[in-house]
Amino acid sequence: MNWGVVIRTALVCAILIVLHFTLRPLLGWRAGIDFILIALVFGAVRMRPGLAAIFGLLLGLAADSLTVNSFGASGLGMTVVGYAASYLKAVFFADNVALNGFFLFIGKWVFDVIFFLMAGQLGGAELVMQLLVWSSLSAAVTAIAGVLSLTLLRPVLEARTT
Amino acid sequence: MARTSRFSSKVDLTIFVVCLFTALVIAVVPGPAREPIAKSLRRSVMAPLVRLQRGAERWRAAWVAAERNAATRDTLALRAFSAASLEAENAQLRRLLGLGSRLEWGFVPAEAIHAAGRAEPFTLTLTAGSRAGVTVGSPVVAPEGMVGKVVTVDPTMSIAITFSHVDFRTSAMTADESAFGIVSPHLGEGSDSTRYLLEMRGVPYRSQIKPGTVVYAAGIGGVFSRGIPIGTILQEIQTPEGSWSRTYLVRPAVNPGLVSSVMIMSQRRANSGMDGVWQMTTALDSAVRGVAVAGDSIARADSAARAAAARRAVIDSAARLPRPVDTTRVDTAAAAGQRPAPAPARVVPRPAAPRPSQPVAPRDTASPAAPPLADTVRPR
Repeated sequence: MNWGVVIRTALVCAILIVLHFTLRPLLGWRAGIDFILIALVFGAVRMRPGLAAIFGLLLGLAADSLTVNSFGASGLGMTVVGYAASYLKAVFFADNVALNGFFLFIGKWVFDVIFFLMAGQLGGAELVMQLLVWSSLSAAVTAIAGVLSLTLLRPVLEARTT
Repeated sequence: MARTSRFSSKVDLTIFVVCLFTALVIAVVPGPAREPIAKSLRRSVMAPLVRLQRGAERWRAAWVAAERNAATRDTLALRAFSAASLEAENAQLRRLLGLGSRLEWGFVPAEAIHAAGRAEPFTLTLTAGSRAGVTVGSPVVAPEGMVGKVVTVDPTMSIAITFSHVDFRTSAMTADESAFGIVSPHLGEGSDSTRYLLEMRGVPYRSQIKPGTVVYAAGIGGVFSRGIPIGTILQEIQTPEGSWSRTYLVRPAVNPGLVSSVMIMSQRRANSGMDGVWQMTTALDSAVRGVAVAGDSIARADSAARAAAARRAVIDSAARLPRPVDTTRVDTAAAAGQRPAPAPARVVPRPAAPRPSQPVAPRDTASPAAPPLADTVRPR
């Protein structure tokens, strides 16, 4: 285990989580950027699938702690997304910007599907509207922001320690 | 090696299943049971993040409030700007309504569209044409006075030249009719600042007009009726024909750049006169002068009556005195001038003065009485 990579990955994930609680409310978009999910995918692709599942569960529970009725929904969704991202990364073995963007888009959309189905707060046409329109938009925005973040933070992630 | 990898996959899958089961259990347990976990997370890991989020949301609220304030300020500024223009337009329309009510008949209201960027800047496109009764030569007026005349008529629109057009001419006069002339545009010496002024040419040399005098259409020539205001005299200007006539610079009563609504008068209405439509200042002046003269004449009559009464009182008092031998008459006029006018004296009947006997002329006896002439023509 390369501790340098672990520390840098933890640092990038921490920055992204802080951005989720600072930049996202500052922008105030209806389809907002999910920086926590970006942090999850960034971390998960550098972990073993099992560890990524634990990472996803912890991140999800932390995010759920601020909700009233959907505690556990984010934990479930992020567990699935974290494990899938780590597993697919191991299978595809590619470090491509477009592939990362695709992972982020699919990951965010799948997470929203699991979250809204588990939370049970929306139903019928409202749920369909949320999943097809707003979740898709949010997934696209998250993918773009994730690709930009990856491009900006690549020097940090790939820095070599002597 | 492959065995180790397969084992790792099984471990990862097992961990994944356990995590899934944990998340499901947490999601389905009732609220009071999961609240301690959420509370501990909120008070430990999430507390600094929530503080960050609260600060970000305050920033966001401040940003939104600033944007809203700026938008409100801009909206108010825009409304204030449009309110001023609306107020001016309202005032102009009110004046136009007043003009319409004074004209009573024979006019067509129209909007004046300024032809920006055209070769002829001193023309107006009017939104009324022959269908509304507009004819070529119809005078165009605004509440303030003369604007121009129609030169082209179409069914739904017409084109008018303003008084600044080089082809524009009209006869003019002062309100007291002491000076007449021809008003034409002031072409100047290439100066744009005075291009919209007018010139009143051909004023007889003996007629001097003071600056500030209002000039009206004289009605000579047919297009513009007598009494339509043209403008105000600014100053006399020197021209080549200055030795036998005067030329005056005139500031127009109407600013053609600001005209948006006008009245197009029919020829019949224009020929019927403008009595009472535009109040000529001379009428006001003469009325004021008339009131002043009437007041002066009353005062003069009163003072004359007082002087006559005083004179009569002096004469009467002199008559009541014992008559001296010397019959020199008193200078009553001088006495009245020296003494202040007395209070109305008690009137005493004047005694009848003895009339002096008329002297009898002596008869000339030397000249004999001539016999009457015999009429030789008429038979006796």
